[in-house]
Amino acid sequence: MSKPISEMGWDELVPGAALYTFDGDIDYNIADIQPEDRMYSETSSKSMSVGDWRVIKPVWNSETCIDCQNCWIFCPDTSIIARNKEMKGVDYEHCKGCGLCVSVCPTNPKSLLMFNEFETVENALSQWPEKKKKGE
Amino acid sequence: MNKRVMDLKKVEVWDGNMANSQALRQADVDVIAAYPITPSTATVENYCMFHANGYVDGEVIMTESEHAAMSACIGAGAAGGRVATATSSQGLALMIETLYQASGMRIPVVLCLVNRALAAPLNVNGDHSDLYLTRDSGWISIDAFSPQEAYDMTLMSFKISEHPAVRLPVISNQDGFMTSHTAQNVTPLEDDVACKFVGDYLQVNALLNFDKPVTHGVQTEQDWHFEHKAKQHAALMGSKKVILETFAQFKELTGREYKLVETYGDADANIAIVCLGSTFETAMLAIEQLKEEGINACVVAPRVFRPFPLEEIAEALQGMKAIACMDRSAPGGTVGTLYNEISGALINTPARPIISNLIYGLGGRDMTVAGLKNIFRTLDKEAREGKLSGKIQRFIGVRGPELSFYEAQGVQK
Amino acid sequence: MSTLVNTQKEIKNLKSFSTAAERFEGSHLLCPGCAHSIIVREVLNATNDNLVVSASTGCLEVCTAIYPHTSWDCSWIHIGFENSSTAMAGVETMNKALRNKGRISEDTPEPKFVTFGGDGSTYDIGFQWISGCFERGHDFMYVCLDNEVYANTGGQRSSSTPIGASTTTAPAGSHSYGEKRQKKDIVSIMAAHGAPYVAQVAPNKWKDMVKKIQRGFDTKGPVFINAMSACTTEWKFAPNQTIEVSDLAVDSLVFPLYEIIDGRELNITYRPKNIIPVRDYLGAQPRFKHLFKPEYEYLIDEWQQRIDKRWEFLQKREEIRM
Repeated sequence: MSKPISEMGWDELVPGAALYTFDGDIDYNIADIQPEDRMYSETSSKSMSVGDWRVIKPVWNSETCIDCQNCWIFCPDTSIIARNKEMKGVDYEHCKGCGLCVSVCPTNPKSLLMFNEFETVENALSQWPEKKKKGE
Repeated sequence: MNKRVMDLKKVEVWDGNMANSQALRQADVDVIAAYPITPSTATVENYCMFHANGYVDGEVIMTESEHAAMSACIGAGAAGGRVATATSSQGLALMIETLYQASGMRIPVVLCLVNRALAAPLNVNGDHSDLYLTRDSGWISIDAFSPQEAYDMTLMSFKISEHPAVRLPVISNQDGFMTSHTAQNVTPLEDDVACKFVGDYLQVNALLNFDKPVTHGVQTEQDWHFEHKAKQHAALMGSKKVILETFAQFKELTGREYKLVETYGDADANIAIVCLGSTFETAMLAIEQLKEEGINACVVAPRVFRPFPLEEIAEALQGMKAIACMDRSAPGGTVGTLYNEISGALINTPARPIISNLIYGLGGRDMTVAGLKNIFRTLDKEAREGKLSGKIQRFIGVRGPELSFYEAQGVQK
Repeated sequence: MSTLVNTQKEIKNLKSFSTAAERFEGSHLLCPGCAHSIIVREVLNATNDNLVVSASTGCLEVCTAIYPHTSWDCSWIHIGFENSSTAMAGVETMNKALRNKGRISEDTPEPKFVTFGGDGSTYDIGFQWISGCFERGHDFMYVCLDNEVYANTGGQRSSSTPIGASTTTAPAGSHSYGEKRQKKDIVSIMAAHGAPYVAQVAPNKWKDMVKKIQRGFDTKGPVFINAMSACTTEWKFAPNQTIEVSDLAVDSLVFPLYEIIDGRELNITYRPKNIIPVRDYLGAQPRFKHLFKPEYEYLIDEWQQRIDKRWEFLQKREEIRM
């Protein structure tokens, strides 16, 4: 395994400050392979986390969720994971806590709600609101 | 190699622009993106004519400005193929930010720069203002003094630029009009020989290589920028080795020998001028004629302007008692570039010649044999008397009262 | 007349769209709630073809390619502010050259070339470059991420900034109501180049957008897409309101969704069930809040008149098919 980039001197860096997304050569069409099956290099931003940007986080309630995928399409941070047309959860490494997923969730009660960053998912789920009646 | 071969005569009569165009054609360039500007226009026009008649298999894009021309070259070069363009003066000034971008991104590009004065006032004739503007841009820069050399340098530029140890863009300079529009004998290589000499393009981090997606042109913050600029400078300095290898291979192929620093004159001469471009050849004539007066002079020129051959040029000037650094560019409030670089080269050596800075030939003003002889006579006087004959910087050949600046200080030998 | 051959994957509904394998990674540095990344994800997910992407200096470029991290799972190039379009023209031309010379095999599927630029780069500093690319007819798609301001440098006005918006270089103050100039009609200008396809899209209307993006990918020649990018930081609404504000924009017809084919035929592609007042759109963004002062309210009326007039014009053009 080669040195991590943070330890490299000027002589070891890739010329032109070019960055590779993946380790080594790839022999498949990237769009045909889901991210979890790709070999990301340390220089892909996927390897980083921006979770510490948050002060509030979205919590997902799979019981009320209807897999409409609104949250998936409108997440600016590729942090709503959908597989096989089903919502799988929130990627807390990359979620910045913007709350868009909550605002576009159509269910009643919503299947995504914002909670304090330090709240555990279990506690959050146990506090889930009831279905809102018409006019509320 | 292009499918349609051109049968060239053993000796052709080409001006500097045609020399460029033929070298570009033989080099099998993949994409040329260009914009017309005097006096480089014919380099591109000739090439377009070749293209229209089936002699060029690559693509030609006529962009809407010079900045766009170099931008397209960088994109095409990063995509993974051989690229080139040509410009002068205002066009060079317009594309200046892209020059820094190309070298920083380490994209091989060949730029045929036909040296012309920079406005204002507007002037289309030859001087070195545009060459000097590229000084810090991070490009390798080589200078041709004649159409033959323009052909040779442009051809070699590709080989140097694309070498895996270099991967830096190269400028192939020549004097506007004095070289570009003056037809002289040129002995070209045959198409297949030239193409073989330049070799196949080597792809490195190509955008069109989908096996290895790559991000080009990043932003670096204060924690990374210095390392990348250091690496770029190291590569530019190290390119000297590849340049010398290329010159050696070219000599074997053609018999024509090029050096980092070109000199002409007697080995025991103790006066010299340092200059660029066609002035070198004019000086050769002046030097021969002055032998009748008993004056031994020589002319020294950096063939390779960047990376600057500091050690080699200092070596060539060690024996000099008086040197005139002749700058063909408006000096902009200080001593000229060659004066600075020569003085900088000599200060860390034992040599302590008298050095003056002559500003000459701006906007295509002729530098004649007679004029150079006078300069050498003045240098001869300065060498014998051991002191400058006037101020450090003098304007030569301008109508009006004497224009000179900067007093020498202290005792001179 | 361009003949369209459908080569892109079928996207029946949002569920099937969600099966796309993302090629735009998180942990970029864009603001929480940024519409740029929603747009980029929709564009990249609309195709499974190989991609080469270029971007102008701006929020997208700066936040997705700060050394030593890249958010792009495809080849990507940034040169400068003006020249992302020309960079792509170079790539597209090199692709042609290498294929003609047999250095890229015919079996390699043709990639798609996509350029992203902000309104600063598109409407202003890079306008000449885009115009040149479109005139020369390069085969690529240019997506303008239009947040009506130079967002990356802190919110200065661009020629896309609409009347009355407060920006840092045309701020609202005691002697000014902010921007005095009309927003440039970039879609008409690009259509006037005779481009085979230009369209205006908004990321909240994802189906409309993805349909147009796919059409753009299948169109030979230069394609211009103006994408509304509601900017939480510069339009000054909360990060979780991006889709809500985008809805207001398209439903008030401030940002009408339409396409122009071959520079001539205009199709309106979204007709709101209820057209909402422009006032509601302006009221949702603090960058317009000074317009609600009594001395400036006339500007809101002028806004409404302008939007109504333009809607009439779009409908008339759609009718006459010219």
